[in-house]
Amino acid sequence: MPRDVSSLANILADARVWKLKDASAAPTRPVWSTGKSSLDARLPGGGWPTASLIEVLLDDTGLGEVQLFLPALVESQRRIGDVPWLVWIAPPHEPYAPALAQQGIELTRLLVVRPTTANEALWAAEQALGSGVCAAVLLWLKGTDDRWLRRLKLAAEAGGALGVLFRPERHRFESSPASLRLVVSRGEHEMQLDLLKVQGGRPGPVDLGGP
Amino acid sequence: MARHAKSRTADLFAAGNTSPALPAPAPAPVPAPASASKPAYRPRPSEAPGGGVPPTPQTAARARSRQLWYAVVFPELIEADASAAKLQKLCMHAHAFTSLVSIEPPNALLLEIKGSLKLLGPLETLHANIDACWRQLALEASSATAPSTLAALWFARAGQPVRIEDLGMLAGRMAKLPIACTAWDADRLQTLRALGVTRMGDLLRLPRAGLTRRLGVGAVKDLDIALARQAAPRRAFVPRERFRERCDFESEIETTAYLEKAVEPLVERCARFLRERQAGVQTLRLKLRHRAGPATCVRLGLASITSERRRLMDVLIQKLERLELSAPVRGMELASGALQPLSAASLDAFAGLAGAGGRDTAPQLVERLRARLGEEAVYGVVSIPEHRPEAAWQRVRELRLASVLRAGEKTAVRGADHAMPRPVWLLDAPVPLDSELILEQGPERIESGWWDGRGVARDYYVARQIRAAHGAKLWVFQERRSKLWYLHGMFA
Repeated sequence: MPRDVSSLANILADARVWKLKDASAAPTRPVWSTGKSSLDARLPGGGWPTASLIEVLLDDTGLGEVQLFLPALVESQRRIGDVPWLVWIAPPHEPYAPALAQQGIELTRLLVVRPTTANEALWAAEQALGSGVCAAVLLWLKGTDDRWLRRLKLAAEAGGALGVLFRPERHRFESSPASLRLVVSRGEHEMQLDLLKVQGGRPGPVDLGGP
Repeated sequence: MARHAKSRTADLFAAGNTSPALPAPAPAPVPAPASASKPAYRPRPSEAPGGGVPPTPQTAARARSRQLWYAVVFPELIEADASAAKLQKLCMHAHAFTSLVSIEPPNALLLEIKGSLKLLGPLETLHANIDACWRQLALEASSATAPSTLAALWFARAGQPVRIEDLGMLAGRMAKLPIACTAWDADRLQTLRALGVTRMGDLLRLPRAGLTRRLGVGAVKDLDIALARQAAPRRAFVPRERFRERCDFESEIETTAYLEKAVEPLVERCARFLRERQAGVQTLRLKLRHRAGPATCVRLGLASITSERRRLMDVLIQKLERLELSAPVRGMELASGALQPLSAASLDAFAGLAGAGGRDTAPQLVERLRARLGEEAVYGVVSIPEHRPEAAWQRVRELRLASVLRAGEKTAVRGADHAMPRPVWLLDAPVPLDSELILEQGPERIESGWWDGRGVARDYYVARQIRAAHGAKLWVFQERRSKLWYLHGMFA
């Protein structure tokens, strides 16, 4: 009997097992704050989970979608030891260096990749996520399939990196292995956030009022 | 002696201070001392016209205290045709004793052995071992060890196998040397003989100013170097080596998958070759030979100098996977680019350890991305302190890959801290706007660049479009002359 208990404890201690009822408990993986307390409160652990894939669905650019992740990117580069890399793959426009420096991002550790095809972009993302030298990989895509997303998720978990995939909202009803899915849309004044899927949390719209 | 020199220097400075406007008086030659009991040769600043200022005692001492030179002269080589090539070969043998070997044309080598004493010393043993090396090669050689390059060389040329470690004894031991061992030109030696100078001791006793005038600056400088009063850096001999190896296949290979397998042992040997030489490469060339037609050449560029098998293989595979074979391959040849020393800062020595765990290093990642996507597709960005928004950033291809960067140490030049926020996305070119806007923040006037013909005079605002389709926060400006509105960026 005691042997069974210990094996169950072993299983529960495995990082790959997540417990639905225990979402509020501190996760074993570190999280990075989103910079918005109302959003942090809705995410398990209180921030973007690392070593996982996050999917952001939006139809427009310039809604503040990158701003959601910039505080986390800055925080990730403040880790002890060698400053990790950030990789931006196929961004819709040129990332503007002065703006990123203003936000506190270490530009010498930022890599911009411009692949010519979607497959190349996915391949580059998989390489970067799994390399172990990147803290976060941001990827902009028009469309992809479930199989590739699963590969990205595995690479992110293996490399301990945060993968963020931006793609159009029409993929909303497709299944996705991402551990966090959210829809960003235009609101009256602020952008609107709708959590579609939160592993270990509760989905639903997020009120972004306040800081 | 020191006091004497000091007081002279003080006098000269005093003279300069009282009449600063006058040109410096031509230095009067110092008469040779009547009694030759005291050596008169000593470096004095400002005495020699154009003779150069001997270095300060501190710097000279620092340079010479670390050095001990073994010189070897091969008298047979002077007539030999290919003496330069022969000397280069001998350098390879000399590398067994020290890493700093320098060629002295036409027939001598200089070895810095101070650094080798701890490991291969004491001096007697080391000296004898190096001598034995030449004997084994059946070469006639005469050698000497002294604290300076020229002194060692002169002793070796004179055929005096001395071993002088102590700098204080150098001048005294040199006194007996014939002046011919300096290998100065015949005119100079003739001048000296006319003066009755045949030994180095006589020469050192002569006043510096007169020597400079009679023999030229070069001779006095030689004496300074020989007495280790002046540092004389030598160019170390670096073996020019490349890895180049070929292999032929028993049967022709038609698919790149088999090529990858076939190239593996070549890369393995190349990596071992590099590791043995503590060197790395940044370029590689793989030549695929066909039965007919020109060979296919695959060139590889690496993001940083490396000697690691896994990284070389990685890039090769990426290239081979994308290669379209025009014809079956019969053989291949792998050649490395120029060998470059592996620096400790590159941490490549440890890359092997990191790589063993299945993790990549940053250079590896960049190489792999570049190998498949092309050099242009992977880049970094820098911020430039410049007011014009479009000129305030730049793409960079040279990434700081090798160095370790600690958190908190800022390397980027941060742009001026703007009161106004900057957008994350900047459009390649400003787009004219015609719809109505709600201006939320601004204006920020930017007026700059009139000097290079790309001047701007703009008022920048953070704005939102009223039209329903776009709710994005925009970075817009109004051209001040034309009063037209443009979109320049987006806050994402």
